[in-house]
Amino acid sequence: MSKETARALVVGGGVAGMQAALDIANQGFKVYLVERSPSIGGRMAMLDKTFPTLDCSACILTPKLSEIARHPNIRLMTCAEVGSVTGSAGNFRVKLRRKARFVRENLCSGCGACSAECPVEVANEFDQGLGFRKAIYTPFPQATPNVYTVDKENCIDCSRCVKVCERNAIDLEMKDSFVNLDVGTIIIATGFELFDVSRYPRLGYGQYPNVIHAMEFERLINAAGPTHGHLIRLSDGKKPKSIGFIQCVGARDVQKGVPYCSRVCCMYSIKNAVMALEHNPEAEVWVYYADIRAFGKGFEEFYEMAKSRFGVRFVRGRVAEVMEGKSSHDLVVKVEDTATSKLRLIEHDLVVISPGVIPSSGMDTMAKKIGIDQTNDGYIEISHTFFGPTITKIPGVFVCGCADGPKDIPDSVSAGSAAAMKATIILSSGGT
Amino acid sequence: MSGTEDEPRIGVFVCHCGHNIAGTVDVEAVAHMASNLPGVAFAADEMFMCSDAGQTLIKEKIKEHNLNRVVVASCSPRMHEPTFRRVVEEAGLNRYLFDQVNLREHVSWCHMREPELATEKAIDLVRMSVARASKLQNLPIKKVNVLPTTLVVGGGIAGLRASLDIADRGFDVLLVEKTPKLGGNVAKWTHLFPSDETGADIIKPLIRDVKKNKRIKILTESKVSEFDGYIGNFGVTVKNLKTEKEERYEVGAVIVTTGFEPFKPVGYYSYGESPDILTLAELQELPRSEQLLKISNGKPVKKVVFIGCVGSRQPGVKGHEHCSRHCCSATAKAAADLRDRVDEVLVLYQDIRTYGKGHEEFHRMARQKHVIYSKFPQNEYPDVIVKKSKITIKWRDVLADEDLEFEPDMVVLASAMIPPEDVEETSHLFSLTRSGDGFFNPEHIKLAPLTTHTAGVMIAGAAQAAKNASESVIDASGAAAKAVGLMAQGEVEIESTVSHVIPELCSSCHTCLTACAYNAISMDETKDPPIAVVTEAKCHGCGTCAAACPSSAIVMYHSTDDQILTMVEAFLCPSPSIQGGG
Amino acid sequence: MTSTSLSTTETVDSQGEWEPKIMAFCCNWCSYAGADLAGTSRIQYPTNARILRVNCTGRISPEFILAALNMGADGVLVSGCHPGDCHYTSGNLKARARWALMETAIEQAGVDPRRVRLQWASASEAQVFADGVRTLTEQVRKLGPIRREWV
Repeated sequence: MSKETARALVVGGGVAGMQAALDIANQGFKVYLVERSPSIGGRMAMLDKTFPTLDCSACILTPKLSEIARHPNIRLMTCAEVGSVTGSAGNFRVKLRRKARFVRENLCSGCGACSAECPVEVANEFDQGLGFRKAIYTPFPQATPNVYTVDKENCIDCSRCVKVCERNAIDLEMKDSFVNLDVGTIIIATGFELFDVSRYPRLGYGQYPNVIHAMEFERLINAAGPTHGHLIRLSDGKKPKSIGFIQCVGARDVQKGVPYCSRVCCMYSIKNAVMALEHNPEAEVWVYYADIRAFGKGFEEFYEMAKSRFGVRFVRGRVAEVMEGKSSHDLVVKVEDTATSKLRLIEHDLVVISPGVIPSSGMDTMAKKIGIDQTNDGYIEISHTFFGPTITKIPGVFVCGCADGPKDIPDSVSAGSAAAMKATIILSSGGT
Repeated sequence: MSGTEDEPRIGVFVCHCGHNIAGTVDVEAVAHMASNLPGVAFAADEMFMCSDAGQTLIKEKIKEHNLNRVVVASCSPRMHEPTFRRVVEEAGLNRYLFDQVNLREHVSWCHMREPELATEKAIDLVRMSVARASKLQNLPIKKVNVLPTTLVVGGGIAGLRASLDIADRGFDVLLVEKTPKLGGNVAKWTHLFPSDETGADIIKPLIRDVKKNKRIKILTESKVSEFDGYIGNFGVTVKNLKTEKEERYEVGAVIVTTGFEPFKPVGYYSYGESPDILTLAELQELPRSEQLLKISNGKPVKKVVFIGCVGSRQPGVKGHEHCSRHCCSATAKAAADLRDRVDEVLVLYQDIRTYGKGHEEFHRMARQKHVIYSKFPQNEYPDVIVKKSKITIKWRDVLADEDLEFEPDMVVLASAMIPPEDVEETSHLFSLTRSGDGFFNPEHIKLAPLTTHTAGVMIAGAAQAAKNASESVIDASGAAAKAVGLMAQGEVEIESTVSHVIPELCSSCHTCLTACAYNAISMDETKDPPIAVVTEAKCHGCGTCAAACPSSAIVMYHSTDDQILTMVEAFLCPSPSIQGGG
Repeated sequence: MTSTSLSTTETVDSQGEWEPKIMAFCCNWCSYAGADLAGTSRIQYPTNARILRVNCTGRISPEFILAALNMGADGVLVSGCHPGDCHYTSGNLKARARWALMETAIEQAGVDPRRVRLQWASASEAQVFADGVRTLTEQVRKLGPIRREWV
């Protein structure tokens, strides 16, 4: 391996990919960290608090973001996607497509003057479409790199941003470009997506304004979110007094093609239930579940606290239907309480659906490009549960985080470090 | 300690942390009060101090106002002190000229319903910090070399994996195992639920590779008996348990993989009253056979009951409140497997936690094979009665709302994962703290699961929490990456917060020598009378010597008497001039 | 620092009631972290204590406690790792050994020893920490402002 190829490529800038990049870089190797969106941070950046300590997600993530940004061995490439991969362990050639962000990264200071001037407002995907952003934007305040991006689909080419930018950083004519990277090893950390809960029409998502999903809830209670952290109903802006959380939607369901457990929904919902009570201690909060899977360190203790100290009410039973009142947009949850074998109708003014985890979009194409196998569920296949939980079929290609199956944050972080370890063994056996 | 004798010009930055602080504490009032404190040259409040914008603000204001001290009032310093220390450093200030006030964990989050008193407390805390800041001093930034060897404590699956990865990466390993054999718990299992392999299938190749590897020195039947030093330069004494001989080694990093012990559930479900009542671990250790036989009389087993959460998930029972994570999936696989060999298999459970990859499939497979699952109430445990070698089990089925009874030939208790017997010894040796489950605390439960608060000491596998073998293997490689990160860099920064003896004040009383737990203080006998001297590399910075010294001859850097008392004074007796505008 | 500065103002809450002032010394590794956990767990407890972080309870010289009482603290809390769990091996044991002497000293000075409290609260014992603050605050509230005892 030449010095040029004693470098690693990490695909995906979520918490697993970030950890992998850091652990490789801290050993003295160069790393390309490639992320297809404008900022690293992944799903974790969208969360309000984290279980089981209720630490605020941004607060604990930000140090990692800046560590990446300033690390001399990490080359961060956002708005970039893997085009093709050739070669083998020690000598991969990766063609990367760098999508035009229409802002020159080296010139932008992140001052935001452009965004203030932009006349176009579009739904902000970072806020799950609940808030607005401009056509030139950064997804969130701690976005890394702190560089603006033009959403060309919505841009009206008025060029007001171009005029106001003192550093002449904006180039609305920018084209996609391609770069070739020579790397010795590749780590896949492409993360996950949430199941589309509107595929369960009986639960009312997409039909009733006060049925939302968990990521929308995260944004609603987040101080940097669309409501500045005020938990309100989307129909009338009222503070919800009774909230129901529905578990296992798009998880453990063979019929919907998601037979596996998503591992995180029980805990994030318990956390959200506790947060709902923190926002409004008078509220009634119910969780409808099949099994509570509080299996990680401190999770069971947190579940117990939610029950005993916060008074979250847990009902075991699959929800049959969510119905909406005629005029009020209030909701009724129809559930068979399996603990009492009774059919119950419970009124709520807000229902939060907990979507399961599915492989990230583009996983199939990427797996093909690299030549790695996928499981029946669409995740990346690992070589062996005990010998190679981060190793893929292709020597030199490793996987971590949710790319090989749902994981919570600490498990993703550990896997990120583990994949880094494997990658550096390949890099060090070369010619550095 | 030079360069900070000049007049303090303190910058105070009060963080909203979104609503986390500003929702309860009047942050503007706090910043306004701070701006009137003596020595404060600039004060402001800002949405997120830890964000790029917040960090840039600090750097800009340091330049603009020529600040020489910085106070950030935000979250716990245990979270962001390193962040802000770096920020002030990037702006040209010594990192020790920074102080942080904890307005979130210690104020807004624990006084949510008392905004006025919370604001008053915040104001006091900021005033105390500003007083301390004006007394802060430059301290040198010190680097030490990292020895290129890692000590791995525990030769189970995690220890073996970590050792191999480090050795494959080109660094040396000292692997210490207390029993005569490598392999840990996994090696004992003839059935490695959830998988079809035996423990030996998994462990043997690992042991072979470890033994073959020249970079790994294996010490079995051995224990670490003494541990001292600091990150990059630890001293380890390893004692051979058979010969009692001790040998000294030097290592740069440590990975603790001391694993778990299956809980022996004496007092639960008549365990011990019949040989046919056994734990899941004991079932896993039974020799493989075509037929499952009763331990008591060798007759074939026809009916088996599994009981879940034995010694786990018991609120209020110390060391047994946690979920043991691996048992539900292991039980599902074991039940499905056994169902092929026996007539009836029953699983009594509270929740079915088959969360992992392929685990839900075991659960489904068990049900397809007609394994019967029955949920019992959280506070009404099943009753296992042993009478004349007959076992009867009575329980309440929640879902059928019925009291049920069954006479199994064998009862398998899915008992908890608990720390090994000598966990306390290990925790003292490496200064690791433990959480309620009895396992070691990581540095941060979310983002730093493999490092600990003892710099240079990592944890992996079941030493950190109950987990299965696959998860332990991932941890092990991850912890190896941390150790290699240190060794590959070759040097690391260490804290300068050590104690120092002022020779002129030392009265040669030796009190400090007995106070120090690290033998970091000795008497310089070349002086007459002899005076105490601190070996800084050995000092851990606890400050016990400074408190013990009757002559006030010991200065604890960054925690001096003056720095502490000025805070007490700022809280209790703020002179009118320093009461500020609050 | 001088003891002439006893002209301290008493804290009163919005209803005009006297609020005890508690000076709390916490070790970084156990009790300070326990107090952090109390916050993240949203455990609510009285606002009266002001926490001063030291690396180890072994750092806390009796002089600090006496100074705090002298300057008008109505109560002093010292909170550290459980005996045997000290991050620095044995600093908390040294603190405990000094405690007895310190208690005698303040008693001789006429200060009610119920104004000072030594407790052990680990990093995971958020409730223990919060309860300790509550207990001492309530205890001191019953005793009234300290000035009566010193002057």
